[in-house]
Amino acid sequence: MGTINRTAGGLKRLSAINHIASQNSFNLILRFVALAVIDAFALWFVIRLTQDKNLPLAALIAATTVGINAFYLHPRMGPFRWFSPGLALMILMVLYPTLFTVYVAFTNWGTGNLLSKTQVIEQLESRLYAPEGSQSYQWTGFVNEAGEYKLWLISDDGSEAFLARPGEALIPAAEAHVGELDADGVPLSIEGFERIERNQVIRHISALGELTFGDEGRAVQVTNTTSAAELRPKFTYDAARDVIVDLETGKEFTPIDGTFTADDGEQLSPGFFVPVGFRNFNRLINSAALRGAFSQVFVWTFVHAIGAVFLQFVVGLGLALLLNDAQLPGMRYWRTLILIPYAVPTFISMIIWRGMFVPGQGIISTTLTDIFGSSPAWFGDGTWAKIGILIVQMWIGFPYMMLISLGALQSIPSDIYEAAKVDGANAIQRFFRMTLPLLLITLGPLLIASFAFNFNNFNIIRIYNQGGPPIAGAPIPTGQTDILISYTFRVAFSDGGSDFGFASTITIVIFIVVALVTLFNFRFTRAWEEAGENV
Amino acid sequence: MIRKSNLFVISVVVILSMMLGLVSVAAQDDSGADLVIWADENVAPVLDGVKDSFAEDFGITVEIQQIDFGNLRTQFAVAAPAGEGPDILIGAHDWLGEFVSNGLVLPVDLGDKADQFVQVGLDALTFDGQLYGMPFQTENVALFRNVDLVPEPVETLDEMIEIAEQLQAEGLVQQGYVLQQADPFHFFGIQTAFGGGVFGQDEAGNYLPDELLIDSEGSIAAAEWLDEQVKAGNLVGGIDGDAATAMFAGGDAAFFITGPWNLQNFRDAGVNYAIDPIPAGDAGPGRPFSGVRGFFVSAFSDDPLLAQTFLTEVVATDGVMSQIVSNRASAFIPTLENQDDPDLAAFAIAGENALPMPAIPEMGNVWAAWSDAITLVFNQDATPEEAFTNAAEQIRTLIAEGSGE
Repeated sequence: MGTINRTAGGLKRLSAINHIASQNSFNLILRFVALAVIDAFALWFVIRLTQDKNLPLAALIAATTVGINAFYLHPRMGPFRWFSPGLALMILMVLYPTLFTVYVAFTNWGTGNLLSKTQVIEQLESRLYAPEGSQSYQWTGFVNEAGEYKLWLISDDGSEAFLARPGEALIPAAEAHVGELDADGVPLSIEGFERIERNQVIRHISALGELTFGDEGRAVQVTNTTSAAELRPKFTYDAARDVIVDLETGKEFTPIDGTFTADDGEQLSPGFFVPVGFRNFNRLINSAALRGAFSQVFVWTFVHAIGAVFLQFVVGLGLALLLNDAQLPGMRYWRTLILIPYAVPTFISMIIWRGMFVPGQGIISTTLTDIFGSSPAWFGDGTWAKIGILIVQMWIGFPYMMLISLGALQSIPSDIYEAAKVDGANAIQRFFRMTLPLLLITLGPLLIASFAFNFNNFNIIRIYNQGGPPIAGAPIPTGQTDILISYTFRVAFSDGGSDFGFASTITIVIFIVVALVTLFNFRFTRAWEEAGENV
Repeated sequence: MIRKSNLFVISVVVILSMMLGLVSVAAQDDSGADLVIWADENVAPVLDGVKDSFAEDFGITVEIQQIDFGNLRTQFAVAAPAGEGPDILIGAHDWLGEFVSNGLVLPVDLGDKADQFVQVGLDALTFDGQLYGMPFQTENVALFRNVDLVPEPVETLDEMIEIAEQLQAEGLVQQGYVLQQADPFHFFGIQTAFGGGVFGQDEAGNYLPDELLIDSEGSIAAAEWLDEQVKAGNLVGGIDGDAATAMFAGGDAAFFITGPWNLQNFRDAGVNYAIDPIPAGDAGPGRPFSGVRGFFVSAFSDDPLLAQTFLTEVVATDGVMSQIVSNRASAFIPTLENQDDPDLAAFAIAGENALPMPAIPEMGNVWAAWSDAITLVFNQDATPEEAFTNAAEQIRTLIAEGSGE
């Protein structure tokens, strides 16, 4: 160890050494094995992603893994260890998807342009065509013990027959010397080769499919279990000039916006995705999606989120006050009972509530009809559908609000209430002047989080009525209970396809809106905090 | 000392991780069956049950992955380009337009087996003159009638409504005729009974995306009929498919247009039903949509020729085909001839004039707008003409925007 260096760094190092030395060596090994396993997984991912040509993600995983290793192996970075799992997950689960979404917003990725350029070229180059005047045949295969194949070809019109071997010229039947033929004109056997019967073709089809029979003059390929044809590649890609050449017609296709297009406008399907700059943003600005009904959707998004949080909070807080003060018998059981809605998965609650609202069938509708003679159109009428959604929201959210309110109530010291009573404040004054402001300091951030969650609460809108009922006369199909995120879903993922590029663009806009709203809300919270200091 | 131990640890970590990493990569490469098949909860168990005999008789190992039918389409579109998809998947014929324009499926050459399939099945799986799949079942909707309430079949919509009103007046049913709301698929039969439609067709039966019929005279006439029924109180909004099914199964409705997927429900409920063709409107008998399910070969299959051969030689046999068809008419003629279910025969009669659901990609822009138009009429939020004219405008906007104009 040498002489002890009397600097702070030396002391730290000394303590680190003692620390390591005092550790059980088994623990040490276990920790490094764990690190090795992480590295192994990372390596596996990186190799796979590189194979799939997803280099950005491969690089990100590699960098993250190097970071984790550095944190664990470099003594100075020790403190970062505790922080590294969270950081790594944040990079991979939040940062990367966010960056990816931004990237996608600038591409035309979606129906019609789903594949990468490499995939499209590969697919086009594998297409075949039958040249004019070419023959097609019925084939029978023969295989020897070495796994070599011969085909007996009979032309479709039955006029010609050939013996074919891979890569060699076809031999006319008369010169093939194959012995006896059966009723269909197929040899019973060929010396050294066994005939492949129909029910065994499938065992050999993969091998046969990779072979070309005959020579350049006449190259025959197997196309299904019985037919073979002279086929040639239809397209070839000229990488130097970046064009696809049609080998049959000589036509050339250059890539335009992710589609190989000829001078005369002919396009080759499928297309591939390419960056398209700000086109998606332009489309959003000029889109029918932003006209007319959009403002209605925008307003309801806020009304829904604020309304839901407000109702949940009011009911939750009311119950919390009741359970906090009142001396009900069996209080513990009441609390448990009220928490039940919280324990039921929310989407199940939503479906059950939906069922209860169904006209003529659900218990709410039938009960209301029995009592009042009619029941509101919980799905058919926009206003009632909105009320229905808020009722469901209240049910789903109040137990959570009650829980956090109970906790916050118990943290308020009771002596200030005594002081207030002495000062002559009544119960209502005590609640609005003391309890509520003090609660909001603690609960403010949670209410904001709840607001942000409900701002994008796709599930409830989708499950309750798919955003319906429809808005009459909307420029594109829009529902009266659609919020921004469900509207995005409609715009981007209509039943027939997916427009990932456009969807990402709208997502970015929604992100900006939510970010602004949250910032604004935090200002409010700060105001509450200041109010709290004055209490 | 620290440096030394660090060096040691680093080398251990590096060596171990290299070993583990390479082993797992190697393991990845040589695992897996010859063919991977994605199928739904009806087909997957059947194929899974016979895959051992495939291995024995044909030397092919097959892996069956069961995926919910509703998710097959989107999961395939995501997984296939990433190299994680199947070699073969089952699907509905109306997915074909999207699959082809995305380059996800390959043409299929059924060879000499082609003439063993019903023509409507082959037509439905043909896109731009190319066959892209092997059909296994066909289906269409028809009019279910409660025989205890209505002993004789009805010919026209007027007749049906008359009987429905009578039954309602007598208090025998909650609703004489029940129609699930916002469901264009089931409304199409009525729309065609008044001469309406979705897209025009060329002589070969191909749908023409430029010729939208949602706001045609016939379609609006059908919407007006719907409007009259709602105004007269014969139809009530807000009833979804499940609720409508429950009403018919429980004898609370006498007429209901639905498909063979509900046969089991009605048999279990013990309701005495008959299956009739869609009644006629002003323009003649209603023409329901027909749907076809088939097997597709992925464009990302390592061995499409093997996949195709597997379909024609192994799946296209009565043994497999008769098991994967569930309460539907088989698209495979030898199996169809052995199906002696009178209900399926009745569906076949009702489907004689059926039109295949359009498979063109533009159809994706139609459903939501069309469904909204029907709902608006149901809710009396727009006149039939407004609702259907606006729906057609919405669809034209979406088609234009989607093609980047």
